Amino acid sequence: MIFAVLIPLIIACFIPLLSKLKEKIHTGIFVLFVPLSIFLYFVQFLGRDFNPIRHTYNWIPSLGINFDFYLDGLSLLFALLISGIGALVVLYSIFYLSKQERLGSFYVYLLMFMTAMLGVVLSDNIFVLYTFWELTSISSFLLIGYWHFKERSRYGALKSMLITIFGGLSMFGGFILLWVVTGTTSIQEMINQVDVILDSSYLPLILGFILLGAFTKSAQFPFHIWLPDAMEAPTPVSAYLHSATMVKAGLFLIARFSSIFSGSEWFFIVVSLVGIITLCWGSYMAVRQTDLKAILAFSTISQLGMIMAMLGFGTTAAVFAAIFHILNHATFKGSLFMVAGIIDHETGTRDIRKLGGLITFLPITATLALFGTFSMAAVPLPFLNGFYSKELFFDATLHLDSTTFLAQAIPYLAVFGSIFTFVYSMYFFFGVFTGPKQLDKLPKKPHEAPIGMLLSPIVLVAGVILIGLFPNIVNAPFLLHAAQAVNPEVEFHKVAFWHGFNTPLKMSLIVIAIGIILFVTRKKWSKVYTILPGKLSLNKVYDQIVEKLDVISGAITRSYMTGSLKNYMSIILATTLIVSFVFMFITNGFTLEYDYLADVTILEVSVVIIMIIAAVATIFTNHNIAAILVLGVVGYGVAILFVVYRAPDIALTQFVIETVTVALFLLCFYHLPKLRKSTDSAGTKMTNLFISVGFGALMTMVAISAHSSNWFESISDYFVETSYKLGGGHNIVNVILVDMRGLDTLFEIAVLGIAALAIIGLIKLKKDKGAQ
Amino acid sequence: MSNLAVLPIILPLVSAITLIFFNSKVNISRKLTQIFSVISLLVSCYIVWKVFTDGTIILETGAWVAPYGIILVMDSLASLLILTTNLVATVCAFYAPHAGLEKKESYYFYPFFFFLITGVSGAFITGDLFNLFVFFEVLLMASYGLIVLGGGKVQLRESLKYLLINLFSSMLFVTAIAFLYAVVGTVNMAQIGERVQEVEQQGILTTIGILLFFVFATKAALFPLYYWLPKSYIVPNPVISALFGALLTKVGIYSILRVFSLIFVYKLELTHELFIWVAGLSMVFGIIGALSTNNIKLIIAYNIIPAIGFILLGIGTFTIDGISGSIYYLIHDMIIKSVLFLLVGVIVYVAGTSDLRKMGGLIHYYPVLGWLLFISAFVLAGIPPFSGFIGKLLLLKGAFASGHIAIVIIGLLTSLLILYSIMKIFIYGFWGDKQMLGNLEKKSTKGLIAPVAFLLTFSVLLGVGAEFVYPHIDSIAAYILDPQIYIDSVLKE
Amino acid sequence: MEIITSILAGILFATAIYNLLQKQLLRIVIGTALLSHGAHIFILTMGKLKTGQPPILTDGVSDYTDPLPQALILTSIVISFGVTSLLLVLAYRTTKENNTDNMEQLRGKSNE
Repeated sequence: MIFAVLIPLIIACFIPLLSKLKEKIHTGIFVLFVPLSIFLYFVQFLGRDFNPIRHTYNWIPSLGINFDFYLDGLSLLFALLISGIGALVVLYSIFYLSKQERLGSFYVYLLMFMTAMLGVVLSDNIFVLYTFWELTSISSFLLIGYWHFKERSRYGALKSMLITIFGGLSMFGGFILLWVVTGTTSIQEMINQVDVILDSSYLPLILGFILLGAFTKSAQFPFHIWLPDAMEAPTPVSAYLHSATMVKAGLFLIARFSSIFSGSEWFFIVVSLVGIITLCWGSYMAVRQTDLKAILAFSTISQLGMIMAMLGFGTTAAVFAAIFHILNHATFKGSLFMVAGIIDHETGTRDIRKLGGLITFLPITATLALFGTFSMAAVPLPFLNGFYSKELFFDATLHLDSTTFLAQAIPYLAVFGSIFTFVYSMYFFFGVFTGPKQLDKLPKKPHEAPIGMLLSPIVLVAGVILIGLFPNIVNAPFLLHAAQAVNPEVEFHKVAFWHGFNTPLKMSLIVIAIGIILFVTRKKWSKVYTILPGKLSLNKVYDQIVEKLDVISGAITRSYMTGSLKNYMSIILATTLIVSFVFMFITNGFTLEYDYLADVTILEVSVVIIMIIAAVATIFTNHNIAAILVLGVVGYGVAILFVVYRAPDIALTQFVIETVTVALFLLCFYHLPKLRKSTDSAGTKMTNLFISVGFGALMTMVAISAHSSNWFESISDYFVETSYKLGGGHNIVNVILVDMRGLDTLFEIAVLGIAALAIIGLIKLKKDKGAQ
Repeated sequence: MSNLAVLPIILPLVSAITLIFFNSKVNISRKLTQIFSVISLLVSCYIVWKVFTDGTIILETGAWVAPYGIILVMDSLASLLILTTNLVATVCAFYAPHAGLEKKESYYFYPFFFFLITGVSGAFITGDLFNLFVFFEVLLMASYGLIVLGGGKVQLRESLKYLLINLFSSMLFVTAIAFLYAVVGTVNMAQIGERVQEVEQQGILTTIGILLFFVFATKAALFPLYYWLPKSYIVPNPVISALFGALLTKVGIYSILRVFSLIFVYKLELTHELFIWVAGLSMVFGIIGALSTNNIKLIIAYNIIPAIGFILLGIGTFTIDGISGSIYYLIHDMIIKSVLFLLVGVIVYVAGTSDLRKMGGLIHYYPVLGWLLFISAFVLAGIPPFSGFIGKLLLLKGAFASGHIAIVIIGLLTSLLILYSIMKIFIYGFWGDKQMLGNLEKKSTKGLIAPVAFLLTFSVLLGVGAEFVYPHIDSIAAYILDPQIYIDSVLKE
Repeated sequence: MEIITSILAGILFATAIYNLLQKQLLRIVIGTALLSHGAHIFILTMGKLKTGQPPILTDGVSDYTDPLPQALILTSIVISFGVTSLLLVLAYRTTKENNTDNMEQLRGKSNE
């Protein structure tokens, strides 16, 4: 099975070679065999006695991340859709995309997507699923941005990526939590631990994270906004990714996890509510669109919402209807996208306001569209599959397991949404194919598409009719297994056209009746869109977020990245100061012991007092010579202290270094501008004073406490003992420096050497510049 | 064979000194640099193999026994980081001759380059706190040398700020070492660890620990101490940026990992809780910084900060997953940051500007460059199956397992924005009409792409081939979490 | 006495930091010099003052002052010297190139 998943990716590696031949043979012809063979591979599993199959290939077993392919009814349904529609789309694309396009890239992305999508539906391992999930987002991004010279394509690609990857990461978070809670990375094993998950205090979080992933991917309200912009992709891509497969990944995820989450009341409420809102909003908005593909995009959103809602209901009838509709939607929506592509291809426009009366020019296309739209509108005819699943949907809304207010309202909302579905379906068909001809507005003279282009939609429409006429041929060997994978309690029952004059049928008739009225009078009530959504636009919200992200982050960053050393130092110091003090306070760090202190002598105190005065004087002095003088006083004071405290070596060093430093300072003072009086405001001075005094105090307090915490013998005793015996020297400090800690000294010299090189570099640079 | 441990510091030191004499002969310098770096790389490969088969190599320098002399501890973590360092360095050595450094190479570029490696390697393997300070100074001094290299106005200005801030933190570092010495009477890290454990980190010790944390945090560029970083990192040429981005901040975070797993681990509820907050803030402010600019070099430079935040997060959670995540992420980030800096270096070179608003359509001329950047974006954001994913997975698991929900949400959102910040370069820089290129000439990227692509394969391998790496990282994490092993191996008796 | 030297070192730190927070480059340079003095006195103090003779082995003396801090200070003094020299040259070059010694005027623009 791993072969079936990875074969598109492997073939994709050879595409760049094949695309060299594209002048002679369209690259798509080679590609066509890939989905076709995968489709045939999966077809063999169809049958009444189908049992789930599992194939495991190790990847990172130590982290529990393995290619655990699990083929059950649900994944089989999706795998067949992916490969089947995939084959039709590739076939269609051969005629849709001319050889002048960058065919190589197109098919590489498309095959990458095929692998990714198959991986999503076949993986039982959550992290492998996530890997493929992100790969679908990435390939979708690349396909939307295929014509990246168009501004709108870039915009749409970025938008879809940000929203779907946002959801993907959220889902990833949910997966990690599931892993933490259950200790397994396999979905099937998680299903066995339903109780553990449902009892976990993390349940709301897990649910939230995973639903967010599903909703963004399946374009549920309010994350649906990326889908209309994704229509910038070439039409075969829209038909494939953005209608039949990728956008159903979210539905797949919900279906997969519903046997875990359906035990939670929140699952029903959130998923049903979001689904039903999406259904209504999508179909309501579709009527308003003028671009054929935009109508289909909103229609897709609405249909996805409907399936989502059914998965949320969770009842056996609803789950079966959802599965049934996933299949039906793929057939009629796929064909309609292809029809839209044909119209675009043959007339040069997709703007419905410019189109009309095309039935005489494109009779075959029109026929295909007729079946597609009427099936979508769920017109009660026995050869339209859309009607069956719609009626099952209505039926499901009437038999919910819940008595909440939401459950009461759902049937009404379902009817409301379906009315608009009917309206836009009619609008699509009649707007394009009937009415006045406006040939002068068309960029091209319209004529019927080549047969190759019609082939794929014909196959799909055949599916619509076939399933419509014999709904039960796909039922037992196929849909039942899929539905049982979602909810094991689903039992076989025959789908029939006529159930008697029951409530669902009445609902359908209401939909049609009101739908016809609204369709005929649509010009009169179209003003309603100026009220809702009116100026309310989720797109604007997205644009604002993206734009504000730049603006606000710029403002924030500029506010503190001032480039001023003083600001940087102040913040670094103040943070260190405050946090250290807090920690000292919390841990009761400050201690003061009077034992072991050396005595105080007048000499030392006088030196210290002089040094303090000199140090403070550096702040107030405004004369260069005076500054050098006081600094020298401090430096030599340090040296005197070293003498007093029995440190002859460092005293000597300090004297030498101090003298050299003073010389360097003199040079520096000579060349740099003279010292000036500080011009800081009193407030700044106070802040500086506070920080510096605070820091000094912190260091003093830590020093005193450290000195008072005399808990251990120093390792120095060893140095005293062994200095002569092992080191061969009487001067212990010297022995430490050159022997015991010789490495320090070696690299201390290295530091000096590097400093010298750096200085030479700086001077050479000046010379070179001077020479120029 | 314990002398093996000193090779990673001696080899680059010798190389650096040798190269000083060839300074004026740029061509010889280039070749020698490549030869030396490959030798170091091979040696570090051998060391890793040795350490993973025979265990930690302890070298008592000058044969002065622990804890009195300076001890070099080449353990599994140090050896892996040395290997990564040398890998990055080798790639830089092959990239540098084509990077258009021109005159800069004769200002002792290559000696500084090796001195930097010396300092970094030393910091990774030393087992002595004061010696760590010395190696910090070596690498800082080398970085000062590199950063002022051939500098103009802007460069000198930013170098000065960089130097001053580091000078302050160095002084704080020695003082903190002295404080610690006063309490525990030693500077040997293993013995400090042992003694701090004995008194259960009571009294002033935690405060001294926090002072050390701030010293390292300044070098590691954590919130709110990273101000020096973005601008001083973009000033130099891409090779130097890559070295800095890959190595300097990582030494800081490595020191935090060492010190706060070996020494200060007895007040976790205070110190490590602080780390988690700092980690979260670093992610947020770092990524805000990356989104705030159209300068593509700055975008990458700001991206260093959230990465350090992620690594600190693992240290903060202090679980086995968290620590393995940190180590994984550390190695991953060393590689991918150099890749990104080097890539952006090429982009700036071919586009003639670092301003994203003035770019577009580059993919028509430079498809390979574009796709390398594209993959790098996903590597950096932690999208599977690349290296960042494994690190992030472990880090977030550690955070969840220790009950830190908010930080996970911040981490996930940060990942998204990291991706956005790099994809911006791809979308606006590479996509677009051919006309957007204007009269830009197609330049040769010979010698620049291959080293970067080579390095990027390691990012991919670390992710796809995680099975070969993760078990080792996991055992390192277990080792890190049990300071006694380190203490025993150094102090023996 | 250790308390007094700790306070002295603390004051050196405080004055150093006050100088570091000034605008004029020269004052900042003065600050760094004071900072290293402060650090060295801290190290010296941490090694117990006057507990014995200077650490040079002499017959008949068994009490010596702690030699280790002295060795550390020596290393640190030399390193500080190296850094200070580089700092001075860099400060000089920066001032000449940018024509100002005011750090507030060396901020740079946001997108450089």
